[in-house]
Amino acid sequence: MNIAHLTLKLFAALVCSCVLLAGCSSDAPKKAMLQGQDSRSANFGGSWEMDYSQSDNIQDKLDSLVRDLRRQAERRSQGGMNQGSGGSYTIGGSGANSAPTIIGLARMADMITNSALLEVEQSEHKIKVKREENFALTCEFYPGQAPKVETPVGAEICGWNAHQLVFKIYLPEGLSIQHVMTLGASGRKLNVATTVVSDQVSYPFTLNRVYNRFVPGNSGFSCKMTLTKGRVCTTQSQ
Amino acid sequence: MHYPIAMIRTLSRLLLLSLCLFITNIQASSAQSESGISLNTAGQQGEASMLDVGLVIFDPGIPADASTHSKLGIFPEIRKSEAKFIPVVLRQVLLDSGAWGVVRVLPEPLDSSELLITGKILRSDGLRLALQIRVQDATGRRWLDKVYLDETSEGDYPVKPGGDPYLDLYRQIANDMLALKRQLSDKQLRDIRQVGSLRYAASLSPEVFAGYLTRSEGGLHTVVRLPADGDPMIARVERIRNQEYLFIDTVDEQYATLYEEMVPTYNLWRQFGREQALYRKDYEDRVTSRESRGRRGTFAALEQTYDAYKWSKIHEQDLDELALGFNNEVAPTVMEVSGKVFKLNGTLDSQYTEWRDILRQIFELETGLTPAA
Repeated sequence: MNIAHLTLKLFAALVCSCVLLAGCSSDAPKKAMLQGQDSRSANFGGSWEMDYSQSDNIQDKLDSLVRDLRRQAERRSQGGMNQGSGGSYTIGGSGANSAPTIIGLARMADMITNSALLEVEQSEHKIKVKREENFALTCEFYPGQAPKVETPVGAEICGWNAHQLVFKIYLPEGLSIQHVMTLGASGRKLNVATTVVSDQVSYPFTLNRVYNRFVPGNSGFSCKMTLTKGRVCTTQSQ
Repeated sequence: MHYPIAMIRTLSRLLLLSLCLFITNIQASSAQSESGISLNTAGQQGEASMLDVGLVIFDPGIPADASTHSKLGIFPEIRKSEAKFIPVVLRQVLLDSGAWGVVRVLPEPLDSSELLITGKILRSDGLRLALQIRVQDATGRRWLDKVYLDETSEGDYPVKPGGDPYLDLYRQIANDMLALKRQLSDKQLRDIRQVGSLRYAASLSPEVFAGYLTRSEGGLHTVVRLPADGDPMIARVERIRNQEYLFIDTVDEQYATLYEEMVPTYNLWRQFGREQALYRKDYEDRVTSRESRGRRGTFAALEQTYDAYKWSKIHEQDLDELALGFNNEVAPTVMEVSGKVFKLNGTLDSQYTEWRDILRQIFELETGLTPAA
């Protein structure tokens, strides 16, 4: 995605509409009670490669977000709301719903979801979604409450919402990310819906990435990690 | 029936010889390790005061609730290996102190041991080791029930050959045990040995030997009377007991082999684990206190926040990868040790039980008495 081109288009849209936004509230990802274990749990195990043709186009999503913001501004304007109560500005401004924050949100969503390959290891009690050039999403499934992990740099909760696997990450600076993994009926397609929320933009930004299952070719050797020798490969096929 | 005994006796002699070489190697190098506590040694002692020590494989301290393992930083497979590894290190230190007779690592508790050490791993990683140690003698007297904790410093890594980053902890246990032993009189030490022998005999044939001992309300065993000198029954019991020790020594040697094969990988695991933990804490401290790269909500600020979390996760997942590497290297050895066959079937633990049953049957055949259930 050409970010400069994207920025230019966004600026143009914003200049035309002269959006005035006020009193915005953050629309966080829909709250669903996550389960540690679910009998309807899907099996995501295997290798996945991104299908760009079926995945969301970031420009379309950005246009849609701008339209939503414009409509919201118009509604507020018609309702005679006080524009000075927060986040009211035009192009070049700072604060909530400014061009830098909207573009920032879209670029974040693009960056977070740009892994072309996924490798999923799933067992009865654990899933590990290895993402190319990113950290792996991991979740452990046990009866009862969904596991929550808190560290000084962020918090994470994951679990099942029926057949969907959900990862929620809450970060400082008003940033939160939600990944919802859904398996297609045939088991050959995987949709990862990533919603990024910033407390500086009124609407969340969601990108759907579609992946196709593939079987990695037999390389003729198999490798395993060791502590003293690092990665050790043998010519024995997997 | 005699074939396996003869075979094990021969095998044990060979294995004990290599065990001696192994112990010598440890003794020679332990002085080089980073340690603030010096090991108290016993000096010259009479044979009567040299209690034999049974050191049971430790309780790995893995909570039954598997959902807590990640949160507690417990890697179950590594803990199971540590439960076999740590007693071997402690045995070397106890032997170095020169205060004890034979120190054996046991696959399961042997109540008639003159001194029995049991332990539970409360915490074990590259930074800290915490052990719950219990020591009890054959009379049932509790010597020790204490938590030992040690922390590593930078100088403990890389671990020098034959050394251990937690040598202080092991030495403290050995010193405490020696101090407690010094509080006992020669007669008390002799009593412990006698009770040990008679408890073993009673486990083989309660109807003959139970009357030699009495047990107080507090659970303490005392000698009521002693068998006559040259009692043939006692001679048989001693022979059976020695056969059992031969088996234990063979098992014990396997734990020593496991130690030798595991130690390079395990030391690396602890070193990497310590570096990871310190780096991660330092990293998290730095990122939470640094100034934002851009205005709140801008890409620069969001990216900085996300990257801080991303790298923290990558460090955490590196540790998982290291644990996997450890398991890939050590698991086959652990399995080999647990699955060794000596003309008997099953795991090491079940072999031990089976071996004791065979010994009881031998005793039954020789004496015509019914052994204890």
